[in-house]
Amino acid sequence: MRDDAMDQAFILAKDHLKSFLRKVKKGHRLVAPVTNQHNDTLFCTINHLDRVPINLTEQAQNGIKSFLFPQQETLATYAVSADGYRFNRTDVRPEPTVYFGVRPCDLMAVLYMDVVFMGGVKDQHYLEKRQDSVLIGLNCNAPFANCFCSATKSGPFLETGFDLMFTDLGDRFLVEVGRPKGREMLQAWQQFFTPAEAEDTRAQYQLSLEAMAGFRLDVYADQAIQRLAAGLVPESVWEQLSLRCQDCAGCAYICPTCTCFTIVDRPAGPDCGERLRSWDACTFAGFTRLAGGHNPVAHKIHAIQTRFLHKLKYDVDKHGRPSCVGCGRCVGICFGGTDIVRFIKMAGED
Amino acid sequence: MSLMRSEDYLPRPAVIQKIIAENSQIKTFVLALADQQANQAFTYRPGQFMMVSLPHRGEAPISFSSTPTRPGTIELSVRRAGSLTAAMHALQAGDQVGLRGPYGRPFVMEDLQGRDLLVVAGGIGLAPLRSVINGCLDTPGHGKLTILYGSRVPSDIAFRGDIDIWQHHPAVTCHLTVDAPEPGWDGPVGLVTGLLGQVKVDPASSTALVCGPPVMIAAVLTALGKMGFADEEILTTMERHMKCGIGVCRHCHLDSKLVCVDGPVFSRAQLKKLQMDRL
Repeated sequence: MRDDAMDQAFILAKDHLKSFLRKVKKGHRLVAPVTNQHNDTLFCTINHLDRVPINLTEQAQNGIKSFLFPQQETLATYAVSADGYRFNRTDVRPEPTVYFGVRPCDLMAVLYMDVVFMGGVKDQHYLEKRQDSVLIGLNCNAPFANCFCSATKSGPFLETGFDLMFTDLGDRFLVEVGRPKGREMLQAWQQFFTPAEAEDTRAQYQLSLEAMAGFRLDVYADQAIQRLAAGLVPESVWEQLSLRCQDCAGCAYICPTCTCFTIVDRPAGPDCGERLRSWDACTFAGFTRLAGGHNPVAHKIHAIQTRFLHKLKYDVDKHGRPSCVGCGRCVGICFGGTDIVRFIKMAGED
Repeated sequence: MSLMRSEDYLPRPAVIQKIIAENSQIKTFVLALADQQANQAFTYRPGQFMMVSLPHRGEAPISFSSTPTRPGTIELSVRRAGSLTAAMHALQAGDQVGLRGPYGRPFVMEDLQGRDLLVVAGGIGLAPLRSVINGCLDTPGHGKLTILYGSRVPSDIAFRGDIDIWQHHPAVTCHLTVDAPEPGWDGPVGLVTGLLGQVKVDPASSTALVCGPPVMIAAVLTALGKMGFADEEILTTMERHMKCGIGVCRHCHLDSKLVCVDGPVFSRAQLKKLQMDRL
């Protein structure tokens, strides 16, 4: 297959999917959405392709955030001895990993994490997991109940950012090539792929139009973003949200773009221990509290503002787009009703 | 400047060479990296900070109180405030701490070259400004320095060794004030803002440097504005809770900025664009 032939799309027959993934698994860890015995669909590592059914029809309850930025990871171990106070890396080299079936929202979230962890000073722990990863996306033919990615311009179909992108055309997948790793993967296993016909790309276009018409929530993110930028969101909106927020941080943990973290030491004995990094949430009361007690973000209302301003104002100013990707997971998890869809609706109203 | 750097979060061991008790709450730790070569190669700029580690206590950001014009060791002045700093205060010369850094946007010493400086500090807030003051005094061609330093009570006055040198330096005017007097104190009593009216500075040729408790910073910034200082020539440095030091963990958020990478040094002009009620 010549390089210039890579601009076009390819077809992978669904019958060949497992064979393709089996080949992929030879050189990579494979992570894909699987429905477990409790009927939960979660991205997980697939050890035996024949024993677990990959689920490409549900939305995974998690994204792939935790694979690149684990809920808890060891940054270093430390020991105090006659040699002094020494820190050592825990040398667990991450396996090269293929993420398969990643929805546009979750894929955009990884691109955002790339900016956070590698845009300035490069975070070594993220970088090592990210550099050997391949993102194979799956466009969303039918948005799920709480989805609003069209409002945040992060789906339901993506044209860039992926290594490979799959579109389900019924009995076959249309496969588009994005970044170089996708090209390499397709070249390595080209026996499974045939060039797509014009009718395949037409079918994909038709599906993308139908997907755009399939959203069930009306979410006007641009309106909220504009009103935030103009300072037009009234104090009463923040007040109401801060009263309802139960401070559980469920939204932050489930969010594919929330990347706040804390670092703590966990002693393993009197003279040694681990330094751990764990997910944190900017809405927690102690997030900004200094030793001695002074807290510049002393009120819940400010903590709530921090969360939504970060996603819908600061990141718009800094990166040109909001860092909400419209996956809708916080809508499902928030029992206080202070999710971002609620906020966008309240902020957008005159 | 930091675009190509990477961070592995591994502190380097440093040996305490000497400990100076500044008052009952503040100790200055004179430190050198345990690796001699690394210690010789180590550079930093006034206004920057280090992440300091203690076994089982985690890390905290501490700004340099020493000046890079006096290489070989660094000095970190630490007020006892929480469990890490309390543990640090229990250390002895010869003990080790872990150090990561330096981090943060510094005071740009080149911009201060030749300008008169008005330094307004409260409590431990003198620590990062001491780095600038001594750096200026070590550099030929510096302007006049006016130092106003407020403490709670006379026995809280820190950096007495430096203050004694400054008070006898021909280019320096140094005034002290306390919130409440103690027996033997015959100096001014009152807030440091009260001293501002008594000093002769030309706002056009001066840069003001301010650090102290948040309420004091806010009051001094306003007062300096009224004196005629341009917002760009009023600089302050801010204290925040931090975990990473590299602009990722977000604990030090200040409106749209992160104090660890966008600061800790800010001009009043930069702060005015933000929500100033969150100092």
